[in-house]
Amino acid sequence: MLPLSDLRRAVKNALSFASSQTDVEEVEVFASAGANLTVRLNYTSHIPSNGVEEPKSTEGYGLGIRATFRTPEGIKTGFGSEPTDLSLEGAARALDKARFGAVSDAEFVSLPKRETPLRANSKDDKPDNYDPALMRIGGKGLVDAGWRMMDRALDSFQSSEDLMGLAGSADKMAELGLILGGDVVMIQDRMAIASTHIPRVQTEQNTLIMSFATAMIESQASKGSGWSVGSRLADFSGEAAAEAARNAVESMGGQRIPTGSYRVILGPQAVAEILEWVLMPGLSLDMFIAGASPFMGKLGQTVASEDFNLYDDSGAPGLPSSKSITDEGLPTGRTELIRDGKLSGMLADYYNYQRILNDPQGREKLGAAPKDSLCSIAPRNGFRPGNGGGRDFASPPGAVANNLVIEGGRGYSHEELLGLVGNGVYIGRIWYTYPVNGITSGDFSGTIIGDSYLIKDGRLAAPLKPNTVRMNDNVLRLINNTLGIATQRRGTVRWSSDQVTWAPEIAVDAFGLEEISEYMESV
Amino acid sequence: MSQRVTVESLDRFRANLQSLVAEKAKTLPSLRYCDLRIEVREESGAVAENGAAKASSQDYAFDFGVRAIAGGRTTSSGYFGRVLGTTDLDRLEDVVWDGIKQAHQRARASARQKFQAKGRFTHLGGSLTATELAPVTISQDTVPAIFKTDPRQVPLSETVRMSVDGCKALQGQGSNIVYSACSASTFLLRELFLSSDGADIDQSFAQTEGFAIAICTGEHGNYELYDFTGHQRGWEVLTQGYSNGPIILPNFTDFCKKLGADAVEVSAAPPLKPPEKEVTVVTNPHFNTLLVHEVVGHPSELDRALKYETGYAGRSWFLKDLQENQLGKQIASPLVTAYSDPNIEGYGSFKYDHEGTPARRAYILRDGVLEEFLNNRQTAAIMGVEPNGSARSTEAQLVPLIRMTNTIFAAGEQDPQSIISEVADGYYIDGHRTPSIAESRENFRITAVKVYEIKNGQLGQLYRDGGITSDSRDYFMSIDAVGNDLRVNPIPNCGKGQPMQAKRMSNGGPTMRGVARLTGPG
Repeated sequence: MLPLSDLRRAVKNALSFASSQTDVEEVEVFASAGANLTVRLNYTSHIPSNGVEEPKSTEGYGLGIRATFRTPEGIKTGFGSEPTDLSLEGAARALDKARFGAVSDAEFVSLPKRETPLRANSKDDKPDNYDPALMRIGGKGLVDAGWRMMDRALDSFQSSEDLMGLAGSADKMAELGLILGGDVVMIQDRMAIASTHIPRVQTEQNTLIMSFATAMIESQASKGSGWSVGSRLADFSGEAAAEAARNAVESMGGQRIPTGSYRVILGPQAVAEILEWVLMPGLSLDMFIAGASPFMGKLGQTVASEDFNLYDDSGAPGLPSSKSITDEGLPTGRTELIRDGKLSGMLADYYNYQRILNDPQGREKLGAAPKDSLCSIAPRNGFRPGNGGGRDFASPPGAVANNLVIEGGRGYSHEELLGLVGNGVYIGRIWYTYPVNGITSGDFSGTIIGDSYLIKDGRLAAPLKPNTVRMNDNVLRLINNTLGIATQRRGTVRWSSDQVTWAPEIAVDAFGLEEISEYMESV
Repeated sequence: MSQRVTVESLDRFRANLQSLVAEKAKTLPSLRYCDLRIEVREESGAVAENGAAKASSQDYAFDFGVRAIAGGRTTSSGYFGRVLGTTDLDRLEDVVWDGIKQAHQRARASARQKFQAKGRFTHLGGSLTATELAPVTISQDTVPAIFKTDPRQVPLSETVRMSVDGCKALQGQGSNIVYSACSASTFLLRELFLSSDGADIDQSFAQTEGFAIAICTGEHGNYELYDFTGHQRGWEVLTQGYSNGPIILPNFTDFCKKLGADAVEVSAAPPLKPPEKEVTVVTNPHFNTLLVHEVVGHPSELDRALKYETGYAGRSWFLKDLQENQLGKQIASPLVTAYSDPNIEGYGSFKYDHEGTPARRAYILRDGVLEEFLNNRQTAAIMGVEPNGSARSTEAQLVPLIRMTNTIFAAGEQDPQSIISEVADGYYIDGHRTPSIAESRENFRITAVKVYEIKNGQLGQLYRDGGITSDSRDYFMSIDAVGNDLRVNPIPNCGKGQPMQAKRMSNGGPTMRGVARLTGPG
């Protein structure tokens, strides 16, 4: 991994070079160096397997340049990048690509400037998400992490008296069909940025380690999950795999439920999945500009239960995915999306922030005059996400959350939520939850695949059989039908992303569930 | 500044890289196998919104990936991938050799730990086995790209014009279209596959793709509709369209006009209020494109079936274990045949997959009977079957996964119009929109662009926000008519793997009739 000093020097030199070009009006230089180290797991006790399946990594570094050019046809804007070359020759290639691809964009105002309602982070509240040990980890450390997950899961299975009782003897435990899947992902990330308007080179380095495990006892159709997220190597213990194995054992003997409308508690993973895939796309400023948000014209209006709060806190100290600056060189911060049930803001990058300020239909689209709503649309989320996480020099910026937080106005305990539901379903893990009738409608469907229980008389009574229930509901109705939101939150990880959602359990009324796949009982 | 990365750059390195993999790598301790994939893509493309250009670029991508299998008392795999650039042209052998060493180190370290785990977990370690690859014919071959207009010869301004004109054509379909966006891109990709077994395969592909989205206002809320077009050919795909057998693609302007017109028409329709009971549904080829993808193609991927994707993309109801599975069983109507074939034309065509396995047709369902899984060399070895060439990645730096290729429902014999006219009371499901599929693909809900009522064999009222849902086996067993109007469409963004890989492939089918429940809003 290249040192930060190399990126800093490259950005400084490239900015100086590009600024000296006679046709360049404004320029922004972004450099990054990053690696994604992933070890995938696949253990099956009843089918030949490798245990640790894929210890692998991808890595890259380079420069990305956004620039505006003076041309005979007027100002044009473009973006170009060059991999593995931080020299002036690399900068010249990236700038040439930006110039060659530049277009006249009537909605472009300028590259990012600080004259926005953004507060710079003070030295004290800068997130500290860098671990030299994790930044240095190599192939052996990656393999070790995978086998630590395997060991923890097999230890947990092997020591289970329930499994021993079911199998009859230790020799026969493997015949139960024990499965461990999942991965450990390590993100190593360094960046530097400077521009015509923010010429001081800003840098940041981040590390992140995430683990996600799914365990099954296939003969019992039971499934459990476990996960962890942290910014330091010491945050990883392999416990996610043990948790998954324990949860799989606990959910043996699952029952079916009939189709109906239920009071439910959505666990943290279920809350995160529904919000990320169904709700969040409609809370991005570019979706308001396009007319594709279900919240068109509702800024400041009630859109959810009074108790429901949602915000992104990309710069929060102490949270693993926090960053101090955006990939546009602007300070990160907290963006209130829904506060006390009212639509309060949206995720924005600088381009779309400027775009809505000049949109003749901006007031109609937002529900308030954009110039009077600067804090709601401030560009705190302009990031260049790489595939699987990290910051990618080759991507232009877009609006991305880092630490999405859901919280209730009045805090409930887990037991209080169970009491509120009385009789219903605890939905721990869901899958393939998509907005089936488009983002604007809020309709979604998905299936319940594990970690779920029937609730009777305010207590978890029996496991719900995985893959036997489809959810059919609407996210706009869901956030208006909350019965209570738990105080405690858990960081949940998202597929192929370094975004963390800090999700509590949420109790919801009148949630649509449909029994499916009865034929599988005889397959 | 003189050097530039082009697809021809690979010529300079091919022999040395082959020697690196086939000879030098074998000097590494306990290395059993090694392969290298390296690729260069030269691409141009543009994006427009509301009839105005937003961005355009002409660039290259250059990267490589290595797999090593190594170990003493048992074996494991290790991988390494990296982005490359112009500066690597002068040091490529060194960079690749470093990658080979890192992949080898990971494989050895994992093999050592696997062996230890087998000893430590006496009762549960028995299934931890050596990594083996099923044998394949070792090939040396060069496969050229097919195109009329070389993607590298397309002026960037032409891609801008195409996307802007597409946007304007789309927007012209109705005043209630409040937003439109289009993109147009074309690239030439060259891939080298080199292995320690002696494989030396050089394949090139031309690919051209268009995308369009419309957002309309409507009485029942805003409505969004998007779709893709494209083929493994040159720029002519968008300028002229493409037609050959079951592939019928309009030119990009006409594609955008139809999408805009559909969006305007559907946005004015009432939402479907689905009846409680099951109904007869006639699904058209575009809808069946997504149906075969989600409910036949995915569960036939052997990595899912062997539980590799338990944590993410899901398993397959086709296989519980090696003894208990659906192979050889009737799981669909005898009218239903589905196959995956990289040798026919489509978005998922190739002669060799990313393990160097020669491509061949694999029948997933023949006359309703489950016949074969899509596999790679490792899963084929576990099942004791012949590899069928289904391992592919989206970029050389990423690990190949088992993927659909051109996966389709085979054509039947019936005239599609008669399939509709035989229905006294039912629904016509026109065009796919969004899927939600159960974890082992045993149940599905897929929404449609349009749902029409069928009364006495005639199409009637049009509805929006509709779709169908069913248990997979029940639905496929209910199929009682299959049309002769096979169409094959591009699917450009099938997500799988960690990190996620969005892969291009083709899917398709003819008009079909079955029984399912309808879905509506909510």
